[in-house]
Amino acid sequence: MKLTTLLTSVAAVAAMAFAGVASASAESTLEIVKKRGHVRCQVGPASPGYYFLDSKGEWQGLDVANCHAVAAAIFGDISKLEIQSVSTQARFTSLANGDSDLLSRTATWTMSRDTQLGIDFLTPTFYDGQGFTVPKDSGIKTGMDLKGAKVCVTSGTTTESNLNDFSRTNNLNISAVTFEDFNVRDETYLQGGCDAVTGDKSSMAGNISAFPVPGDHLILPDTLSKEPLAPAVRHGDNQWADIVRWAQFAMINAEELGITSANVDDLKANSKNPSIRRMLGVEGDLHKGLGLEKDWAYNIIKQVGNYGENYDRYMGNGPQGIGIPREGSSNALWTKGGLMYSPPMR
Amino acid sequence: MAYVSTKSTPSRKPPLNESTPLGWVKVNMFSTLFSSVLSIFVLIAIFFTLKSLLTWGIFDGVWIADSRRECFSISIDGACWAGIIAWFDSIFYGLYPRDEIWRINLGGILLVIWMVPLWLPRVQGKVFIGFSAVALYPFLAGYLFSGGDKGIFVQVMISGAIVCIAALTINAAIGYFKNDNLANFIIQRLGKNDATEKQQRNILLGILAACVVAVFIWQLSWIEKSISWTRWGGLFLTFVIAGVGIASALPGGILLALGRRSKLKAVSILSIGFIEIFRSVPLITVLFMATTMFPLFMPEGIVLNKLVQVIIAVCLFNACYMAETVRAGLQAIPKGQFEGAHTIGLGYWGTMGLIIMPQALKHMIPNIVGTFIGLLKDTTLVSIIGLFDLLNILRTISRDKPWLGLHQETLVFGALIFFILCFAMSKYSRHLEEKLSTSHK
Repeated sequence: MKLTTLLTSVAAVAAMAFAGVASASAESTLEIVKKRGHVRCQVGPASPGYYFLDSKGEWQGLDVANCHAVAAAIFGDISKLEIQSVSTQARFTSLANGDSDLLSRTATWTMSRDTQLGIDFLTPTFYDGQGFTVPKDSGIKTGMDLKGAKVCVTSGTTTESNLNDFSRTNNLNISAVTFEDFNVRDETYLQGGCDAVTGDKSSMAGNISAFPVPGDHLILPDTLSKEPLAPAVRHGDNQWADIVRWAQFAMINAEELGITSANVDDLKANSKNPSIRRMLGVEGDLHKGLGLEKDWAYNIIKQVGNYGENYDRYMGNGPQGIGIPREGSSNALWTKGGLMYSPPMR
Repeated sequence: MAYVSTKSTPSRKPPLNESTPLGWVKVNMFSTLFSSVLSIFVLIAIFFTLKSLLTWGIFDGVWIADSRRECFSISIDGACWAGIIAWFDSIFYGLYPRDEIWRINLGGILLVIWMVPLWLPRVQGKVFIGFSAVALYPFLAGYLFSGGDKGIFVQVMISGAIVCIAALTINAAIGYFKNDNLANFIIQRLGKNDATEKQQRNILLGILAACVVAVFIWQLSWIEKSISWTRWGGLFLTFVIAGVGIASALPGGILLALGRRSKLKAVSILSIGFIEIFRSVPLITVLFMATTMFPLFMPEGIVLNKLVQVIIAVCLFNACYMAETVRAGLQAIPKGQFEGAHTIGLGYWGTMGLIIMPQALKHMIPNIVGTFIGLLKDTTLVSIIGLFDLLNILRTISRDKPWLGLHQETLVFGALIFFILCFAMSKYSRHLEEKLSTSHK
């Protein structure tokens, strides 16, 4: 008698738990976000250019702009956003378990991550590549000169394994000196603790600009790896993935069409260009497929700006920018020979 | 012929090492060849360390600049303190919106007002002051810091807290200046000295209830803007985590220690299991469990507040350490004390509360404060799971474009803050020990 009571109650609890899970997962991410009233966007421990705190305690950066864009698209208000700073080790778990709605941090889109972790990468916001920084007077001209060299590297990312691959392929016998913090890595390098530093070229360019004498260092022409840095969402909610993807595309498309945060009001009122009118919601009903309001793209451009504006602000030569030239790089628009390309919005 | 000298003998000079610094140096540092060599060696080491430290930090240090590049242009080898100065608000308040900072300041001031009577002479009801600070203040401060909608329970607690702090302040003033307490003062003012004790109590309760109701109605219109915990940070967050940890570790530890020594098998086994499990796992593991594993067990869409998870983890972890400290203190109390308490008719809680704990806790002060200091420093681990405590904010400075790469100065500054806090705690514990020491010396 007692046993049966126990078994029934266990079964009942299990059934309730199952029902709870089932009903919860039936709710789409967009519904959850709308009900909650803000987007939870995951970034990492501050990284110059991509996501960092300014001295007023506000998050800024190229990847943060993505978070802002999603909030603007859904709520028409970039402040309806909670930025979560999650450690590198916990980043994908935190997205997969529902803690974050999207991940917008310098995560490299790789096949294993895309297919095995229960997450989907969207369109890259920055194309990076791994390279080496060496002192100018060292006489090192290419990566092949690094035979037997000690190279400083930060641990826990793809950077370290790329270095090993490079060393093995070219039989260079490089010994890696690993660090948790890039500041300590650079300090060691500056004090002669290693012959070169390896890392993503963009962030190294930013770091070199902060060295006591930036002119004494150079980035070698070799590129060790492709690093497409893309935002990611949980696998399985296609509507949510569409929203995040098209929020990004809207920023790229806006740059191509010449829409900026300054002229968007004027263009919305006066433009005759059907592409612009469709995108800003003056005509057509592009917004319906996303389940958003008519002026979703207008809100993004108005409050966040187009891709080029954000690039200049954070990665380029703006007051907060870390000074990475865009012209001729993969991050230029496709019309200027880069890879930034948005499918047509119609 | 007189054998007695009429003049007094001139007094001799005190020994050299007692009178002049030079003498002290000679006796203590250069008495033998070996100690002379050792002294010279150590002095040289100190001289060079101090010299380079002062050159880097003070003489070549840059205090006013707009960016690290500007610091470099002023002095390429010196410390760049300008970055720390520019980030002062963030270091203390984290990401908290700048026009709401007064809420944190007010919360801090209220805590000081609440606690100061504990250290004033002649103030009565000190046990209640301490107890209410743990039981009521967190609700008031919690609402001040986070804002938003108040539930009915929180509303009642906030009203209680406001009445309590007002009453405690008046009580402290009466105690300090008139050597009396608030209850007597009110009764006298009302001229009810002759009333029976029961009537007096009813009058006081009536006044108390009226105050709480009045404050309750007033606070219905008091609504602060909601601020997410993700914006808490800096020294403020360190204080919140350490403060809650410290306030709960001691009571939790006492309960666990009593549980472990309990004669009831179930209680003691549960306590031992709890203590041993938490003590045998590193804090960072507990934190990771609490923040990344726990959400996996929850239904989708439900996200618990990470800060609350962290605080609970810190509290449980430190209560277990405290339990062992308390148990050590309990074991130092001779059995005669227990027997004595029983003979005068005290029960279990009476024995513990009135006889054993006051003696045991006094012996435990150094260890308790040691645990508290450890707790304060352990809070820096939360930076690993992405909370912006003091350490994490300091590290973040080096990622801000104007101060890119500024990381040594920030860590030095952090070390200084932690040293001040820990040293103050340690000094205070020495003071407490001396104040409470009775006949054992």
